[in-house]
Amino acid sequence: MQSLARRFSSQISSNARLFSTSTVALQATPVQKSVMNKEFKIYRWNPDEPSKKPTLQSYTIDLNQTGPMVLDALIKIKNEIDPTLTFRRSCREGICGSCAMNINGQNTLACLCRIDRNTSKDSKIYPLPHMYIVKDLVPDLTYFYKQYKSIQPYLQNDNPPEKGEFLQSQEDRKKLDGLYECILCACCSTSCPSYWWNQDEYLGPATLMQAYRWIADSRDSYGEARKEKLQNEMSLYRCHTIFNCSRTCPKGLNPAAAIAKIKLELATE
Amino acid sequence: MSPRSGLQREVLSLYRRALRMVRTKPPSTRAKFLLFVRYSFHRNATTISPRQVSVIEHLMRQGRKQIEMYEDPSVKDCWVSKEMKEWNERT
Repeated sequence: MQSLARRFSSQISSNARLFSTSTVALQATPVQKSVMNKEFKIYRWNPDEPSKKPTLQSYTIDLNQTGPMVLDALIKIKNEIDPTLTFRRSCREGICGSCAMNINGQNTLACLCRIDRNTSKDSKIYPLPHMYIVKDLVPDLTYFYKQYKSIQPYLQNDNPPEKGEFLQSQEDRKKLDGLYECILCACCSTSCPSYWWNQDEYLGPATLMQAYRWIADSRDSYGEARKEKLQNEMSLYRCHTIFNCSRTCPKGLNPAAAIAKIKLELATE
Repeated sequence: MSPRSGLQREVLSLYRRALRMVRTKPPSTRAKFLLFVRYSFHRNATTISPRQVSVIEHLMRQGRKQIEMYEDPSVKDCWVSKEMKEWNERT
């Protein structure tokens, strides 16, 4: 048993692998990347000291030691410079919608937004505009989610098929493309001036697009009731086709078109 | 006494709502809820100047969220900290 262990250990040491393939490569020193400092100005506000005004705090990091996206920079700052910096993040690939924030004046997902390599200009990062702030870059989305809940975002049908699942033709399925991809990051709603002024009553582009997603669904039989709910001054008609929503959507969707389709259906029925 | 401002009235109505919430709780824990509500309001009333409107508005939003949670009938007990007890003995 002992001899077996000895033989085993000697085998490891003789087979220890070197990563360099030639002696030249072995002796080469790794190429040092130049330092490329960039300044990030980040909105800070701490709820534990509510009497202090919100401030912009500036952080300088080396871009050559950072990943390509703004989220990488934020994580680097949180890890290495200031652990009190607060922001939401999860998937780091634009599928969860947690890291929505206002970067250089544009609402977008930090994980999908490349850092501008121009180091002479600073990068400004704010939370989503016109939302109540929980802390630093974290907005309070409670009301946004309540609005989403109010449109009943689930399949409603009183006559389910007797056996198996709902069947849908390929054409009917195609109607949902460009609608179902929405991740509810709230970038579009918070970029809409109409939503800024009438947040309490106007549903906002994100919610309206989901409302249309259920109206357009061939398997849903409550379309009329859903449309009836939108048939008032505020919920839908506060949309003045400003198109900020379609412009800012980090997923490249078009909420304005969906709202226009609801308007058309409401007008022609 | 000068008429109350809108914000003052909002704070008072939230306080009233909180006190009504206390009455829906089981009698054995009602005193704890009451102490919690009174402490939360009185502490802020003494430490925050009525001119700091944005601070009060922020605390109102926080308070509304908190009270929504406490109004849930499944909430039957609450925790009372040492500071709250000390404050209660002082007043």
